[in-house]
Amino acid sequence: MKVLLEAVFSPTFAASILRVTTPILFATLGAVVADLAGVVNIALEGMMLVSAFTGVAVSAFTGSAWIGLICGVAVASALGLLLGYFHLKLRTNIILAGIALNLLATEGTVFLLYIVAHDKGVSSSLASKVIPDWQIPIIKDIPVLGAMVGKQNALTYLSLLAVGVVYLFLYKTPLGLRLRAVGENPDAADSVGISVHKVQFIALAISGALAGMGGAHLSMGYVSWFSRNMTSGRGFIALAAEALGRRHPVGGFIASLFFGLADALSNYMQSLRVPGEFVQMIPYLLTLFALAVYSGRQMKTRRSFK
Amino acid sequence: MKKLLGLVVLVSMLALLLGGCAKPAQTPKDSSAGGKKIKVVLLVNGTLGDKSFFDSANAGMQRIKNELGAETKVIEMGTDPSKWEPTLVDVSSQDWDLIICGTWQMTENLQKVAPKYPNKKYIIFDTTVDYTKYKLDNVYSILYSQNEGSYLAGALAAMVTTSKMPKANDKKLIGFLGGMNIPVINDFLVGYIEGARSIVPDIKVAISYVEDFANPAKAKEMCLAQYEMGVDIGFNVAGGSGLGQLDAAKEKDRYAIGVDSDQAMLFKDSDPKKAELILTSMLKRVDNSLFRAVKLYMEGKLPFGKSETLGLKDDAVGLAENEFFIKNVPEEMRQKLQDIKKKIQSGEIKVSTAFGMDEKTLNALKDSVKP
Repeated sequence: MKVLLEAVFSPTFAASILRVTTPILFATLGAVVADLAGVVNIALEGMMLVSAFTGVAVSAFTGSAWIGLICGVAVASALGLLLGYFHLKLRTNIILAGIALNLLATEGTVFLLYIVAHDKGVSSSLASKVIPDWQIPIIKDIPVLGAMVGKQNALTYLSLLAVGVVYLFLYKTPLGLRLRAVGENPDAADSVGISVHKVQFIALAISGALAGMGGAHLSMGYVSWFSRNMTSGRGFIALAAEALGRRHPVGGFIASLFFGLADALSNYMQSLRVPGEFVQMIPYLLTLFALAVYSGRQMKTRRSFK
Repeated sequence: MKKLLGLVVLVSMLALLLGGCAKPAQTPKDSSAGGKKIKVVLLVNGTLGDKSFFDSANAGMQRIKNELGAETKVIEMGTDPSKWEPTLVDVSSQDWDLIICGTWQMTENLQKVAPKYPNKKYIIFDTTVDYTKYKLDNVYSILYSQNEGSYLAGALAAMVTTSKMPKANDKKLIGFLGGMNIPVINDFLVGYIEGARSIVPDIKVAISYVEDFANPAKAKEMCLAQYEMGVDIGFNVAGGSGLGQLDAAKEKDRYAIGVDSDQAMLFKDSDPKKAELILTSMLKRVDNSLFRAVKLYMEGKLPFGKSETLGLKDDAVGLAENEFFIKNVPEEMRQKLQDIKKKIQSGEIKVSTAFGMDEKTLNALKDSVKP
């Protein structure tokens, strides 16, 4: 127990939480943007995966992690547009189209991996690049805080920055206002001359780009290669985090931080002989607990309005 | 537009179907005049490219083809378990002489299918079928003493963590990353712990299970946590997830031990700094064991209807003695490992196994090395 407490209260544990949170946070923000525009993006998982692959492949061929990142994000964003095309132009059910994209991404990335790396499992034969760690000049010298947030992957900082940017975009810009209007009531938005489809296309593209950042972090920040299906459900966890965070960027941030905390905790507890099965339950248990507390509080406020 | 798309999908599906049908029909029956070529097929219940287990089996098939002159084929059945049994049935009704499959996930399928094709011969590796319950005179099972190889890995880890090697610290703590809490993985663990204890009786082992063979990011995070706690050398037994441990080792600049295939050679060109930290890998020579089995089969000596356990004696498990091992592990440690290896081979050291070990004993063992 003492060892666990020591580990949990060490600043590196906080660093670990931020690292685990990064991909989920990006995807959660992507989920928020799409959902507010009234187009549920269930293909986040597939978009992350495609971006993770593209990032690795492009960075290996160009020698630049940043070009890899840009290409990964661009491809994920294009997938968002494709989802929009299926749903808005061809009128398919968006959930079904999303599932199809996820399946396509799972197997398609393996197929492409085989073409570029002659390997169906991992891309370790490609000399791909990683997004560098950044150091924050003054903060890194502060004793505890420095170890927590002083040196992290560039994408981790960008994910934190993205929370603010997405918030400002959604609530302080005209396009954000239109986007929310379209999600709230498309007919009303249409009646005041907003092109509903255009706004939804934009929302899906942004959503894809954000998911793409998360995917790129997995393969070019977290680890240094692409492996098949490496997202392992993070895109879906993001959908849960989005719901838990009440479709709000800041709420989503707190929810994904919460998932990150649970996950990091489970990683630390495992090595201390807490039964593995119990540890695997922790993230989900904590989620259920949080949902219960949250809905309990909501009921209370509703009652007090009566 | 929609119609066109539908048409394209339909046509491509048809093409796939036809392509799939065409193959078995094409396979020539060259059992005619001259030396009869035997036909061997390997069913992979997953995909190749795992950088450990199945790739090793595939390498064995290559040798069988080149050195024994057999006609071979490797079928990747994918990760959907519902497709495995039908594929096994399909293959059994074709004209293969030997059908090879592996892992505990295939045992039940084989137990069901093999009795229906008494004229076919089967080899299953890394598990055994239940010979008492089913009539399986045509099945040969190969088990590996991964506990023996892991004993060596554990001994090495204990020597390293108490040594003055540049990346070792003063804590007597080593790491173990398992893919899942299942008997095969625990067999590695039991050997690892016993081996480590034989060198340092009060050694501590940080044990984590990813519970997933394809989540390297989670594995990395777990191993970072282990290294953070003071682990200076860790052993990964987690298939594709295990690569996360190697990444963690690089980030924390600590040692690692690979598994199944030679994982240092995997990164030799693409990431030499990482390869330097992988002192050795505990090899499970699926390739050697399959080669040996097919060779015995061709000589008519393969004992069907029973299972065999192959260990250090048969070169079916062992440490990878590559350039990094020679360069980074001090001479006296290597000498000591050789001695231990000989003692296991001669039966002087008996390594316990997790197979048949009850939950209580196993947990007591794990608790006794709890950090």
